[in-house]
Amino acid sequence: MRGKWKALTFFILPFALLFAAFYLAPIGYAIKQSLYKVERQGTFGKATEVFGGLAQYERVFSDGPFWESIGRVLLFGIVQVPVMLGLALIFALLLDSGLVKGRRFFRLAFFVPYAVPGVVAAIMWGFLYSPNLSPFTAVTSNVDLLSADFVLWAMANVVTWVYVGYNMLIIYSSLLAIPQEVYEAAKIDGAGALRTAWSIKIPLVMPAIVLTTVFSIIGTLQLLAEPAVFRTFSSAVTSTYTPNLTVYSTSAIPNFNLAAAFSVVLALATCVLSFAFLKVTQRGGDK
Amino acid sequence: MRAALGLVLVSALALGACSSGGDTSAEGGDTKASCAPSEGNVTLTYTTWIPGIENVVKLWNDKNPNIQVKVQTGPNGNGGTYANFFNQLKAGNAPDLGHIEYDALPSFRVQDGLTNLADCAEVTAAKDQFVDWTWGQVSFGEQNAVYGIPQDTGPMALFYRKDLFEKNNIPVPTTWEEYAAAAVKVKAAGGYITNFSQSDISQFAGLSWQAGGRWFANDGTKWTVNLQDEGTTKVANYWQDLISKKLVSAVPPWTTEWDNAYNTGQAWTWVSAVWGANSIKSGAPDTSGKWAVAPMPQWTAGGTVAGNWGGSSTAVFKGSKHPYEAAKFALWLNTSEEALTALNKEAQLYPATKAGAKLPALSEGVEFYGGQKIYDVFATASTQVSPDFVWGPTMTSTYATASDGFKAVVSGTGTLLDTLKTTQAKTVETLKSQSIPVAE
Repeated sequence: MRGKWKALTFFILPFALLFAAFYLAPIGYAIKQSLYKVERQGTFGKATEVFGGLAQYERVFSDGPFWESIGRVLLFGIVQVPVMLGLALIFALLLDSGLVKGRRFFRLAFFVPYAVPGVVAAIMWGFLYSPNLSPFTAVTSNVDLLSADFVLWAMANVVTWVYVGYNMLIIYSSLLAIPQEVYEAAKIDGAGALRTAWSIKIPLVMPAIVLTTVFSIIGTLQLLAEPAVFRTFSSAVTSTYTPNLTVYSTSAIPNFNLAAAFSVVLALATCVLSFAFLKVTQRGGDK
Repeated sequence: MRAALGLVLVSALALGACSSGGDTSAEGGDTKASCAPSEGNVTLTYTTWIPGIENVVKLWNDKNPNIQVKVQTGPNGNGGTYANFFNQLKAGNAPDLGHIEYDALPSFRVQDGLTNLADCAEVTAAKDQFVDWTWGQVSFGEQNAVYGIPQDTGPMALFYRKDLFEKNNIPVPTTWEEYAAAAVKVKAAGGYITNFSQSDISQFAGLSWQAGGRWFANDGTKWTVNLQDEGTTKVANYWQDLISKKLVSAVPPWTTEWDNAYNTGQAWTWVSAVWGANSIKSGAPDTSGKWAVAPMPQWTAGGTVAGNWGGSSTAVFKGSKHPYEAAKFALWLNTSEEALTALNKEAQLYPATKAGAKLPALSEGVEFYGGQKIYDVFATASTQVSPDFVWGPTMTSTYATASDGFKAVVSGTGTLLDTLKTTQAKTVETLKSQSIPVAE
């Protein structure tokens, strides 16, 4: 019995240490920071951090632009996540169906954008959208894709471009794990390619789709790189355009305590949404 | 998106890595010892975004084997370096020296990030070498206070396309009234008189500075914020009129799109600082020889008032173990003829010293400007900058709010005046949230 515990500790310890140092400690530190406030005497007085209770959270909950930005990313997610995952699913099914020649090439080609850092992708697309410098000025000089009406969807396009291949790969690898016997049985029952895709493949890769959806929900709420880059060349992107940009702008003042409170609230919102989604989909699966 | 996640994680780590109880440095106690030379060899770290700074620092390193300076470069201040400085100060690992613009000095002082160099005899002795108002910026008008060594200034003037103005028979505007009249003619000729800076608010600050606007005041017990005084309101209404009449373009500044507007002759003038000479040269290379520089347009005919846009200091951060050596290097960098000449050659910096205006490098004609001795115009402007403009202690926030509003204005929502009102309210709120005393 004792040896078992020893071995367990031995194997868990490296993970536990890293997890505590790089995950729990920063979260704990952020929560602690969010409960403090700054006090000082005089115009250039020295600042002292004192316990402030929920003072920072009061500011967070009365901050109009922050909640507007949450609404904005939710709208973004409701439209962009289904489009992106729908495309990823279609591409994965096409690759898996055997209809496509050069499967290896396409698998890699779809995945390549994911290897482009988010900031670089945003800068590149920024050029493509630019009213005067784009290679497609015929379109962009007439429809300003960087204006308030379009910029959110222009960014959705960038995010989709980057992440479709990544999500496709997760779904595709889950398709590869489906045992051949299932397909044989379907064939014997007279199912065509479309029928197989709809009734067998999609239900069987549902766990992968749920997983990618949760990742996407988290990613959407934490949108930062794209709006931070677009902010430099679009009049429509403000310093509080997404929740994470608000956190960034606040910590740049610098007001670390308030920025920590924003972060904690954002993390909680992300948790709630992700778990709610998991609960809903799991209930569906039971029936 | 995942990159963003990573970024957040990394910054969380950076925050987590430092323990919170670092605020124990004794204020004001051991004054004499605070500027004593260190023993042995010293290596200083210096973070800046001056292009070509390595070549300038090499001059120093070659001559000072005992005080070696290591340069780190980064993006310009508001583009990320200030945020890094604040994080490093919080974590207790800031560099010895940093590049800080005048408008950001109060923010760093209020966060207790700067070493007061008033105890360094060589620093206080250098006071008279600097243009008066720059010393005011680094000393906050106080006795026994020097929070940075002035480096460069940004006296403003009018850059204009000489060829296009002549070809279209438009007189070069000397007053803002003439400038607005010229805007109509330029529009008729198919261009824009200039590009309104929607997201870099410092230009608007420079224009307000010229018009007599004073955004902040500090009486020692509390701050006053006033972004709606007579001067600033006048400037806001003036540009609002040009924007509403679509006489100015509104391409976001510091973008390739912006460069393109100047390179293709879409924008005909730019009211900018002396360092703008380099921005046009590098951004609009096809227009070489077609530009000229005239004094800034005036609010009253025959007036002689200039604004200032930008300008920086070299500051020693709190926690530096070698303030004496750091101050010595900063003084060399910003007062010696060899350093100033090199800084001008590498980055067109315009010295903050009185003698700097007479540098041989600054008395020559500049080819890009048709051989005009453009620095003469700026030397005059430098003496016409009013010395009493005070920056607030949370300019990052003030700029961000104003920029959000100005962006909306050029997209057709609200007015510049509305924005200034919002910015004032938001600035007061930001000050309060930091417990910085402020008058309502």
